[in-house]
Amino acid sequence: MKRSFAVLFSLIFVLTLILSACQPAPAEAPAEEPAVEEVMEEEAVAEEPAEEMAEEVTLVIGFTSSITGKQEVSSKRQVNGLTLWMDQVNEAGGFTLSDGTVVKFAAQTYDDESNTERVQELYTRLIAEDNADFLISPYSSGLTSAASIVAEQNGKIMITTGAADDDAYKTGNTSLFQLYTPGSLYMSSTVDMLKELDPDAKVAIVYEAVKFATGVAQGIVPYLEANGFEVVLEEGYDTDTADFGPIVNKIAGSGATVLLGGGHYPDGTALARALYERNIGLKFAYLLVAPADTKFPELGDAALGIAVSSQWELAATHTEAEAGNMGVEWFGPTGEEFASAYEAAYGDPPTYHVAGGYTAGLVLQKAIMDADSVDTDAVKAALNAMNLMTFFGGTQFDSSEEAHGLQTAHKMVVAQWQLNADGELERVIVAPADVATADPLYPIPTR
Amino acid sequence: MKNWRNHLGLLLPMLVVIGFSLWPVITGNISTRESAFTILKAIALASSLNILLGYTGYVSFGHIVFYGFGGYIGLYFVNQQDWSIWAGMLVGGISAGILAFLLGKAILRLRGAYFALATIGINEAMKALFNNLDLFGGPIGMVLNFSVYKAYGGAAKALGMAFYIMAGLTIIALIISHLVRTSKFGLGLLAIREDEDAAEVMGVVAPDTKTWAYVLSAIIPGMVGVLFFFKNGNVEPHVAFPLHSSIELLVMVMLGGQGTVLGPILGAFAYQGMRGYFVTSEFFKDIQLSVSGVLLLLIVLFIPAGAVGWLRQKFPTLRRVLQ
Repeated sequence: MKRSFAVLFSLIFVLTLILSACQPAPAEAPAEEPAVEEVMEEEAVAEEPAEEMAEEVTLVIGFTSSITGKQEVSSKRQVNGLTLWMDQVNEAGGFTLSDGTVVKFAAQTYDDESNTERVQELYTRLIAEDNADFLISPYSSGLTSAASIVAEQNGKIMITTGAADDDAYKTGNTSLFQLYTPGSLYMSSTVDMLKELDPDAKVAIVYEAVKFATGVAQGIVPYLEANGFEVVLEEGYDTDTADFGPIVNKIAGSGATVLLGGGHYPDGTALARALYERNIGLKFAYLLVAPADTKFPELGDAALGIAVSSQWELAATHTEAEAGNMGVEWFGPTGEEFASAYEAAYGDPPTYHVAGGYTAGLVLQKAIMDADSVDTDAVKAALNAMNLMTFFGGTQFDSSEEAHGLQTAHKMVVAQWQLNADGELERVIVAPADVATADPLYPIPTR
Repeated sequence: MKNWRNHLGLLLPMLVVIGFSLWPVITGNISTRESAFTILKAIALASSLNILLGYTGYVSFGHIVFYGFGGYIGLYFVNQQDWSIWAGMLVGGISAGILAFLLGKAILRLRGAYFALATIGINEAMKALFNNLDLFGGPIGMVLNFSVYKAYGGAAKALGMAFYIMAGLTIIALIISHLVRTSKFGLGLLAIREDEDAAEVMGVVAPDTKTWAYVLSAIIPGMVGVLFFFKNGNVEPHVAFPLHSSIELLVMVMLGGQGTVLGPILGAFAYQGMRGYFVTSEFFKDIQLSVSGVLLLLIVLFIPAGAVGWLRQKFPTLRRVLQ
C-alpha cells in the first residue's frame, strides 16, 4: 500500500513537472529580420571592409517582475513593453556610439512574487551574479523602495516604471529615475474636469489601504478642498477585500455623488462590479489602475462610465509636433508605430503599463546615446540633464537631493469607458480638453 | 562542565549555523550573503516558533505578529527618533515580549484549534491597527531615509552589517532553544505538550509556564523584524504582518522536526534554500510555486516526523547529537 502510494505521488509529481515545463512560451515578435549577428557582419563587410570589426557590447538589463501575486497583470504588461523595445533595438543591430561601439541589450529577470521578502536578494543577485549593467524597478512602490537600496549601494541606475509613490524618491537616493507621473498628481486632472462638470459634487474617497493608493487618495484631498468640493467619506479597505457590499453601502450612506478611489487590478474590478450590482446612483466613478487594463471591459455593463487616470493612451499619444511646439527634443517611435508593433507581437492593444515598460528602455537608450558611453556615471549625468519627449510624454527628472529622480514633466490623461457607435465598450479620453476624444459621460447611466 | 554531554545537541546546530554564516565571508560574494541572510532569518524565526510549537505543542498561525509588531516599534525609533539599530532592536525585542506576555495571559487559556484561530485573529487585528495608526504612517508605512545608513558607513556597509547581526541573532535563538529544551522549564513545556492536565497534577504551573514560553518565542522575532525592515528600507502593514509567512514557518518546523533544536534549522534551510533555488533557476523560475508545493506535499506525506525525526529513527546511535 505504502509502495503504491509512493509510486502514485511520484507519477503525479513528474507529470506536474512535464505539464508545467510544456506551458506555452510568451508570444514573441515575428522573426522576420535576419539574425542580429548576420546583420552586423553584413554591415561591417559592406561599409568598412578594411577596418577592424566594431566592438560590440551587450548590456544586461536586470529586473524582477511579478509573475505571481497580486501585481501579476500589470507587471507582465510592463515586461512585455520592455521586451518589445529590447527586441526592436537588437533586431535593428543595436545602436552605435561615436567610438564605434555597438550597443545591444539582454534581459535577466526573476519572479519577485509581488513580495518584498526576496526583492533585495534578487536584485543583489542580478548585480553580482548576472552582472546587470542597468536596472528596471519592480512593479509597485513598496518593492521599488526595497530594491532601490541595493541599486544605491552598488551605484546602479534604476529606471522606475510602476512605482508612482512620491516617498520612494525622497530617501536621499541618487540612482532612481521615475517615468510615471508621481502619485500625488494622479487625480488632479480628474478634479479639474469635475470642477467644470459639477462644482457641487460630494466626493467619497475609497481606496485600497496600501502605500500607492493611500498616497494618491490622501494626496488629492487638499486639492479637492481647495477647489470647493465637499469630501463626505474617506475610507481605506484591505487589499484582500472580496466583498465590497458593506463599503458600497457606506458610500451610499454618505450621500456622495462622485467616487474617487480604487487601488490595483483585482480590487478595482471587484469594486466596479459591486457598484454596478448595488446601483447606488453615483454620477461619476473613478478607479485607479484597473480600468486602464484591456481586460476591464470583461466586466460588461459594470465597466460603463468608469474612469481612470492613464499615464498614456493611444488616442492622446504625444507627437513630434507637440515636442517641437514646446521646444523639447523628440525621440523614439510614434505612438501608432509602437502600438502596431505591440499588437503584432502580443495580439493585444497596449495599455499604459506596456507603454511605460517600453519607454523605460527607450529613455535608457537615449541616455546612453546622449552620454555617448555605457559608463554608469556618464549615463546618470545624462539622465539628470534629460528633457525629452517620447510618444509616452515628457520626461524630466528632479535632480535635487530632496527628491532625486521624481518625474516632473510627464502629464496624465483621464480616460473613461463609454459605448461606441456599435454599442461596444471603448476607452475614450475625456480630459484634459485639449487632448479629449469624447465628452465625459456625466452622470453615468443608472439601471 | 561535567554535564557537557547534555550540550552535545547544541554542537551540530551551532556548527551548521556558524559554518553557514562564514560561507559568504569566505566566498566574498554579496549575492551569497543575501541568500544566506534570507535563510538565517528563517532559521531564527522558525527556532523561536519551535519553543511554542515544538516544545509546548501550541500551534500558532500568527507568530509573525511579533516580527511585525517589534519591527514597527523598533524602526519607528530608528527612523523617527534617530536611535541606533542596536537600541531599536532592543526596543523591538522587548516590545514584542511585552505583547506576547499580555496576549499570553489572555489567549493561552485556549487550547488546540481555538488557540490557533485566536492567533490568526490577533495577526489580522494588529495589521488593521497599524493600518490606522498615523504615528506609524498608516497604510503608507515608514520609508527609511538613506541618511540613516551614513552612521554605519553607507548603505553597502549597513547591509553587510545587517548580515552579521542576523547571524548573531540566529545563534542566540539556537542557544535559547537549546537552553529551554535542556532545562527544568523546558521539561515542564514538554509535559504540557504531552498532557497539560497531567502536567498540572505533577506540579507544573501551566498558565505561567506557557506564557513565559510565548514571551521567549516572541523576543527574537521582534528583533529580527527591526533588522529586516532596517535593511529593507521601508515597512508597510501588509509587509509586516504577512499571514502566509506564519504558515511557512510552521512548514519549516514540521519539515525539519518539531521539538528539536536542529529541526528548524534543517527545515528553514531546506524550505528557503529550495525556494531560493527554484526562483532563480532558468528551468523552474516560472513554475517555482507549483514545484515547491508538490515537493512539500511529498515530504510531508513520506517523512511526517520531519528530517530530524527520520534521522533519529534511522540512526539511533546519533540520537544524542541529533536533538
